[in-house]
Formats: sequence, structure tokens, C-alpha cells
Amino acid sequence: MNAAISSRLTEVTTDTLERLAFIFASPAADGPVVEESELETVRVDFSGGFTGGLELSLSASVLVELAANMLGADEGRTLSADEQRDALKELVNVVCGNLLPAVAGRAKEFTIGTPYPANAGKRGWETPVAVSHLVLEKGICRMRMRVDGPLPEDLACLAQAPNHHHLAELG
Amino acid sequence: MAINILIVDDSGVMRSMVQKAMQLSGLAIGEVHQASNGQEGLAALEGHWIDLVVADINMPVMNGEEMIERMQAQPDLKAIPTIVISTEGSRTRIARLEKQGVRFIHKPFSPEMIRDTLKEVLGGEVFHERSH
Repeated sequence: MNAAISSRLTEVTTDTLERLAFIFASPAADGPVVEESELETVRVDFSGGFTGGLELSLSASVLVELAANMLGADEGRTLSADEQRDALKELVNVVCGNLLPAVAGRAKEFTIGTPYPANAGKRGWETPVAVSHLVLEKGICRMRMRVDGPLPEDLACLAQAPNHHHLAELG
Repeated sequence: MAINILIVDDSGVMRSMVQKAMQLSGLAIGEVHQASNGQEGLAALEGHWIDLVVADINMPVMNGEEMIERMQAQPDLKAIPTIVISTEGSRTRIARLEKQGVRFIHKPFSPEMIRDTLKEVLGGEVFHERSH
């Protein structure tokens, strides 16, 4: 597990949840005890500067709030399961797009794939390079990053201490 | 004058978010067309009069960068103002897009960022008076 990348993962996920969906999150030192069956999980693969994937697991109880906040849905409007899943997929997509330059630097180009449910796609999630656990008001968010092959040594985040400057730069 | 918009993004939720932010901006909006990838976007451009294109970059089938390159190659499409709304972080790719006259908004965006960019691209004349 890489502490610098995990730190970036926590920063970017917290910032994205807040700015995209108005959901506030706090880092949890240890992973909260949650049944996998209570989580909705999506993944996205990327290639370019290096190859890998990002996995996002969110408490099912937060899904409606996520979709409603992203869509600005009026109170009382029933959001479809498709809308909720689409919101979750867009969340992992935006986190991934913001995480990669924060980890690898802005000189590298990446292609981000289409997010997909966790029961499909590549293996390799048993040994993630980075993990982040966040506590939300109504549940939890768990992030895991997979890198295929050896971790590149020239990653920007390995050359500097964790800070928030890169987020301001990207925003 | 009302502006006809084409929103190209593979996420239906993101297309809705963009459309809502544009409505909040006070822009006089005519027709809104949506497409889920660059190929569908080009087809929509062939079939409708579009005044503004808003596109993502990372999409299946045809990405936004290729769609914009193809627009640039067609005399009747190259002049259409285009805004890319994406998570893209690569300075090289953003510079490449801006060189083609494309404006760039980073995701996640605020409605104010959308409003300000629309005003810069389209001018203040196409906004309702109530907008700031």
C-alpha cells in the first residue's frame, strides 16, 4: 500500500463528493466495519501514463442522496435505479479524472474508460496500491486504486509531501 | 435570440447537470439536443441547427477530442462555439484543445463557472435580463 497515493485518494474523493454532490466526508483511520452487501460498487479502468483502475464503494443508503444532489432533484421526486447507478458511475469517473493528475502530474495523458459494475471487468483488486476510507453522514465511502504492473517511480505525488495545492491548481 | 445547444456526454446524469446549470445561468435556451458519444454528436450536428456544443472528452465509440477534430474539418461546423467540460488534467491535451478555439471547464464545476464561460463565449446579448 502506498501512503502518498492513498493520501491523494482521500483528498480528491473528499473534494469531489463535496463539490459534485454536496456530501461531506471525513477520513476514517481504519476501515469501518460494513457488510459488502450494504455497498454499491463501481469501477473504472484507465490507461496512458500508467495502467490501472479505480473502485468506489458507497453505502446503498447514500445513493438516493447522491443522485438527488447531483441532479438538483426536487423533493418528492422518485429517482430511478438507473439514475442512481449513473450518478455513482459519474462520481467514480470524476474522482478518477482528478486523481490521475494529482498522482502522476499534469504532464502525463490518460484515457479513462467507461465505469462498470463491480461484478464485471478485470481482477487485481485484492492487492490495491492505495485505499481510502471515508465516513459520511449516512454511510461510508471506500476507494481502492489498482495499478497493473510495477508502480512507476516518476509519479509526481511521490516527489512531494501531501498537500491541497494540486486541488487548487486543478480547480 | 434563443441558443440551440448540443450536450455530448456518456453520462445521462452529467448531461442533466450541465443542462440545469445552463438554465440557471439565464441563457436564452432554444432546443437542447443530447448525445452520448462523439459519433452521435456529429449525427446531431448534421440533423439540427446547433449554436453551441458542450462536450466531454472521455467517451466510448468516439471521444470528444476526435469529435472536435472532425468538426474543425467541416467548414459549416468549425465555427460553432465549443466548450469542453471534463475531468481532463493533462496540460498537453488541454492546450491542444484550446489551440482549436475550444473553451475548457473542469469537472466538478459550479453553475457560476458555466455562466461566466457562456457569457465569455456567447456574449451577454443572449442572456435574460435577470441574469447577473
